[in-house]
Amino acid sequence: MSAVQQKARVLLHEAMAKNTFRLRLDGVELATTITPGQFFMVKIPGENDPLLGRPFALFDICKDAEGRVAGLEFGYVVVGKMTGRLAQLQAGDEVEIWGPLGNGFPASPGGRLVFVAGGIGQTPFLALAREALGVQSYPQQNPRKVVQPSSVTLCYGARNAEFLAGVEDFKSVPGLKVELATDDGSEGHRGYVTQLLEEHLKAPGEPVTIYACGPEPMLKAVQKLALSYNATCWLSLETPMACGFGACFSCVAKIRETTPAGEESWDYRRTCVEGPVFEARELIFENHP
Amino acid sequence: MPGSNLVSFIKKPSVMSLTSNLPVSLNVQLGRLSLKNPILVASGTFGYAREMSAFVDYAQLGGIIPKTVTREPRAGNPPPRTVETTAGLLNSIGLDNDGIEVFITKHLEALSLLPTALIVNIAGKSTEDFVVMARRLDEFNPIQALELNISCPNVSGGVDYGTNPTMTAEVVAAVRQATSKPIIAKLTPNVTSVVEIARAAANAGADALSLVNTFQGFAVDWKTGEPRLGNGLGGLSGPAIKPLALRIVWQVAQAVDCPIIGVGGIQSLDDVLEFLVCGATAVQVGTANFYNPSLSSQLTSGLEKVLQDRGCSRVQELIKTVKVPKNQRKTC
Repeated sequence: MSAVQQKARVLLHEAMAKNTFRLRLDGVELATTITPGQFFMVKIPGENDPLLGRPFALFDICKDAEGRVAGLEFGYVVVGKMTGRLAQLQAGDEVEIWGPLGNGFPASPGGRLVFVAGGIGQTPFLALAREALGVQSYPQQNPRKVVQPSSVTLCYGARNAEFLAGVEDFKSVPGLKVELATDDGSEGHRGYVTQLLEEHLKAPGEPVTIYACGPEPMLKAVQKLALSYNATCWLSLETPMACGFGACFSCVAKIRETTPAGEESWDYRRTCVEGPVFEARELIFENHP
Repeated sequence: MPGSNLVSFIKKPSVMSLTSNLPVSLNVQLGRLSLKNPILVASGTFGYAREMSAFVDYAQLGGIIPKTVTREPRAGNPPPRTVETTAGLLNSIGLDNDGIEVFITKHLEALSLLPTALIVNIAGKSTEDFVVMARRLDEFNPIQALELNISCPNVSGGVDYGTNPTMTAEVVAAVRQATSKPIIAKLTPNVTSVVEIARAAANAGADALSLVNTFQGFAVDWKTGEPRLGNGLGGLSGPAIKPLALRIVWQVAQAVDCPIIGVGGIQSLDDVLEFLVCGATAVQVGTANFYNPSLSSQLTSGLEKVLQDRGCSRVQELIKTVKVPKNQRKTC
């Protein structure tokens, strides 16, 4: 995979949920090479504040009426300087993007797939679901191999119903089961999304592969469940990042490793290059022991 | 006469060149180090170069300086390691690297094959560390110079080498003994007088001075009282520091007879030219590599064009052409 740095125009900018928006860009070159769970950096050209690009995961690529790749979409929640600036963008405005970056989620290995999303961590799962269910292939340029799963379920949690974003997009994927959870019960299950996950892990059937993206406490809870049920589990991290392509060494996560002498140890690995997706059993969460 | 024909043959192109493109020499000399052009990339902002391969045409660069190498592996500082501030980046990476032996086996060969000069940046906790590393790297011919990081604000337990002229002179002189390669001392701005440190480094045998490393800074979340960096203190870089770096380059260029590599907030061709005019012989693009990764290799052609437009045949003609400030020109 080779990344590109390119200017891209805003094709569409619309609300998805409370404080949550989707931006569609005409970054065709990038769109043809990206896979689900990969990300790209977005910067406002020529502006010094915000200075750095910010990483955004692919929501999905888009095609024109003839089926040609026309652009790509990402979702964001307005939380800070950059997302506040993004919220001002209108169709036709130009941004700078570079990517695709990171390893992304592995393609479906078959069996039961359970996606666990918290908040805006839902972003990578539309493309992943479409791929697993045979709707779309990635990268467009040279599609990767996918083993047909026996079932695909998205367990998606948010604070309340107002923050659930893109639910209609998910429900439109043929064969994708969508299970929702909210903290206040305003939509779906009242409680944690990990409680939905545990029901799948308890149920008999083919092996479960977990893919998760969301806030760190959620990922840590998913990790714990995956380890106790001995399920393969992929966690996608979001860490503060300056470049996105491995040069700055900002975005490190603690990863278990075994020394040549056979001792248990750890080292920092870059989320942008060696991640953002790591296997649950190799990750050490620092902030939420 | 054959002689007069020759003269007219030589003269013609130079007359034409007033209206067409004069060949411009971008070559610069930094002590014993010769570079094909003055555009370098700063250590710690270019990874080990392979990270930049999708964005950069290495051949356009005067040289590359990979991430700082230390004698022993270093895990680096706990995250968060960077936080963005207004027009700047505060970092405390902490020289995360696998140590010199892994650098040699894992990175050096690939770096050696790049079509540009390779300058290796080293940091030590003691003069012995610097000397041992300089000796170890001396045998590798593709390494054209060593840059001594005596200025990283994120790793020292006590006083940095670069904050003390005696210690600066000691480490530069010791490395000069240990290697035949040109030596660049990268200095910290976090001192009362960079001129004093610069003079010490120059007198001890530095071929050039990189001015400057990051400015110490701090960021806090007032709501929680938590420092924003895992390490607390960090080093500030980016456009926010350009005037600060330019001031130091300008002052040192007036006071010390040693080639300067200007570094601090460069993100455009104008920035490059400002550093050259203030007295830098070469520059390093740093933080801009993070948010405009293809910038560095685009600057060379732009620089060539500016020199042509101004009728300069050599980049040296621009260097240190800064004028004396107006209110100092009057004689009393």
